[in-house]
Amino acid sequence: MARFIERHPAWALIAIIAIAVVLWLVFAIWPPGLEAAIGRKRVFLNAVLNGITLGGLYFLVASGFTLIFGLMRNVNLAHGSLYLFGGYIGYAISTWTGSWILSFIVAFIVVALVGVILQLAVFRRMEGQDLRQTMVTIGLSIVFADLMLWVFGGDFYQIQTPAWLIGPIQLPLLTAIKSSGEPVYLQYPLVRLVIFAASVVIGVAMWLALNRTRIGMIVRAGVDDRDILAATGVRIQLVFVLVFALGAGLAGIAGVVGGTFQSLSPGEDTRFLLASLVVVIVGGMGSIPGAALGAVIIGLAEQLGSVYIPTYAIVVTFLIMVLVLALRPQGLLARR
Amino acid sequence: MDSVAHRLSAVGAGAALELRGVTRLFGALAALTDVTITVRPGERRAVLGSNGAGKTTLFNCITGDFPPSSGTIRFFGEDITQFPPYERIRRGLRRTYQISALFPGLTVQDNVYLACRGVSRGRFSFLRPGQNDALMHATENLVQAVHLAAVKDQRVAELAHGQQRQLEIALALAGAPRFILFDEPAAGLSPTERRELIEILTSLPAHIGYIIIEHDMDVALRVVESVTMMHNGRIFKEGPPREIESDPEVQELYLGGGHE
Amino acid sequence: MSLLQSTQFRPDPSATTARRAFIRAWPDFQNPAAWLVALILIIMPLIASGFFLIEIFATTLILGIIALSLMFLAGYGGMVSLMQLTIAGFAGYMVAVFGVSGNANISLGWPWWLATPMALALATLFGTLGGALAVRTEGIYTIMITLAIGAAFYYFTNQNWAIFNGHTGINTVATPHFWGVDWRADIAFYYVTLGIAAICYFAVQYVSRAPFGLALQGVRDNSRRMAALGFNPNAHRIAAYAFAAFIAGLGGVLQVWNYRQISPGSVSVGACIDILIIAVVGGITRPIGPFIGAFIFVLLRTFALDVLIKFGLDGNRFRLLIGLGFLAIVFWSSDGVIGLWERWRRHHVSSAKRTGGGRHG
Repeated sequence: MARFIERHPAWALIAIIAIAVVLWLVFAIWPPGLEAAIGRKRVFLNAVLNGITLGGLYFLVASGFTLIFGLMRNVNLAHGSLYLFGGYIGYAISTWTGSWILSFIVAFIVVALVGVILQLAVFRRMEGQDLRQTMVTIGLSIVFADLMLWVFGGDFYQIQTPAWLIGPIQLPLLTAIKSSGEPVYLQYPLVRLVIFAASVVIGVAMWLALNRTRIGMIVRAGVDDRDILAATGVRIQLVFVLVFALGAGLAGIAGVVGGTFQSLSPGEDTRFLLASLVVVIVGGMGSIPGAALGAVIIGLAEQLGSVYIPTYAIVVTFLIMVLVLALRPQGLLARR
Repeated sequence: MDSVAHRLSAVGAGAALELRGVTRLFGALAALTDVTITVRPGERRAVLGSNGAGKTTLFNCITGDFPPSSGTIRFFGEDITQFPPYERIRRGLRRTYQISALFPGLTVQDNVYLACRGVSRGRFSFLRPGQNDALMHATENLVQAVHLAAVKDQRVAELAHGQQRQLEIALALAGAPRFILFDEPAAGLSPTERRELIEILTSLPAHIGYIIIEHDMDVALRVVESVTMMHNGRIFKEGPPREIESDPEVQELYLGGGHE
Repeated sequence: MSLLQSTQFRPDPSATTARRAFIRAWPDFQNPAAWLVALILIIMPLIASGFFLIEIFATTLILGIIALSLMFLAGYGGMVSLMQLTIAGFAGYMVAVFGVSGNANISLGWPWWLATPMALALATLFGTLGGALAVRTEGIYTIMITLAIGAAFYYFTNQNWAIFNGHTGINTVATPHFWGVDWRADIAFYYVTLGIAAICYFAVQYVSRAPFGLALQGVRDNSRRMAALGFNPNAHRIAAYAFAAFIAGLGGVLQVWNYRQISPGSVSVGACIDILIIAVVGGITRPIGPFIGAFIFVLLRTFALDVLIKFGLDGNRFRLLIGLGFLAIVFWSSDGVIGLWERWRRHHVSSAKRTGGGRHG
């Protein structure tokens, strides 16, 4: 941190000012002039929290995508299909058993198994041919999409939020002071906060696993230099299968989350594939912290954009991507 | 320093290539440390040194494939340190690669034609060259000069190793080179091909200088007038071939046990 | 894999140099099959009904033109761009926005001969800027960035009402009428499409052997070496995007004239990927590939329903069929159906030789 300030004093100053402004916007009572200019503080806080929690969801999808890409140079364009498949599995399990938690476990296992099968049956045969692998994932995404359309139809599904998570929770964030002098606190859906906390836990766990365990070291070494892996005599195929399973399983979990937050329908696979692409391009290909940063940035941009400039919301997301590509083409937190 | 004197010193030196304090780091590893070299126009010099001495990195810094971490590089008086590779090439600098870097999908003639086109106008031309195109003639001549006329319509992937090395040299001779960097041009050549290579090198016009990296002392010392010894990324010794060859330190380091 | 044209036809040794150069430059003129195909295409209106002429052949040619622009980038430049349909769609939208349409509040009402060049220029600009972004990174990243650009455009057209009229799109787009001819009438439109497709096809083939095309193939094979020959590789890549964008733009103009409307559905992510499928199935090493791919794609799309039902299957599974076919091609041939066909022919020739050469013992 100190080195960053030393090397880029101007950027550091801008960042500090930006953080101060954001903190003020979140914690202060807005003066009437500001409310008149950009609307109520409650709307703003809701958009910010929605953005951050959506970022948590994006992180779940994109972390698997970036892990698979980083290690195997496999641009898995069927990642969105894995997400949607996980969501449908989660829906089926939760309506059948009524257990929300169980639907996560089953979705993770089933989608991870799909990942294992894909790696063993398909991608192992074309190792090192990244373009061909990508083509295969495109073909698979079409086939999966049509199969899922066949089975589940074009309807919208929503996974039932469990009773203990339903309803809002009061946050210690002031939105306004009533004329009577009574403070008004922000109400926010508990389920979104819980899911966000869970994705933070998963992210930290992944980071720890990558940085503190032997297999994590191997994976990281492989991301940095794939030739090292072969040289160390590690059973590289096993590592590949495990990483693919983990990445796919995370997409499956994300599907259940997305099905609870939002809804499941054909087309969601593409939406989340695009989100993963942009998150990973912005954050840095192959980097887990990068995926986290990118996910929060994109989540915030989408939510704030849709509140404040609804017809150009997508443009904001896109401009962020363009800006990153222009200034730092390898992504914000990538090594190279 | 007075700017006129500064400019005069640059012109007065009249160096074809002038490196001052060039250093190149790869992370924490210094592949080149404080290298200062001056080469006169038309001068022919060998760079010797064991593997990892920094010879190819030196070439990469000069051509801009990797920019130096610090130091300046002048080419015929012009500071080219910040130039992208293609700007340096357009000014008359050329190089060959240690491992043939050719276009395997294209024919021999197309390879040479591209080299000729790269240093002339019309790089973006959408018009195919006609039969009387000047560059087509230049291409034909170059192909002849490196004894590849018989295979000019073959794809490079189908060529023998020796032929690919010759094509490398043809690419470096395209246009009007003023200075060429040869990176181990004799590697893997048969004795006959080596003789042909020496013949090509010695018959280059006198105004074209070059630096050659060569492990084969017989080849190197026959085609150069000065030698630079490198060791661990630094210049270790400079001088005429005979002197270097008989230098006891050099013999111990390189010609003796140091060389694999 | 690039210049197969030059090795494909072994010229007669007695031919003069000029003649040999001509054959090398235009391999199609030596190929009787090519002449036959050209003849059939020209007399097609005598054979085919209006439905076939437009729904099958004109549609094939239009999709072929758009896929050709991808083939140019991927085959000669090594850049797999998924935004070619987006560029075509953008050109289509611009024709509708600048020209005349049923949405008078949006369309500016320019005559077609002004609106069309404007649309082409803007589409070329769009493709060039997108390309300039995509070349910031290399290799497989190109797919991700161009797909992101394509998807962003799709969602933008959905959200934006001021220019793109949201998800309803722009309808009843006017088509050119001049010299007393309705150029959107079946036969006239077929010939317009055929003419533009032929121009694009020969232009790509010509440029592939021109300095620009050769340099692009050099950049594809070894961009570092190209820089060491005096070329600026990224400038060549961006120029290739510009050229491809112009071709894609032509396809897009024809497409909006064909359907007389354009909406976000025309630029969806699925449609972008369809263009890749068309190019890959046809073969991305030669300009003819995209047209073959487009023909197969259009036939499948048009008749899969009937065929599937005839075999007692669910007629809605067209995309499943496309996906499986695409997977099969990717698995078995790196050069699409042309590659399969050539492999089969070589096998045939070599087995014929083997039986014929038996007398040598």
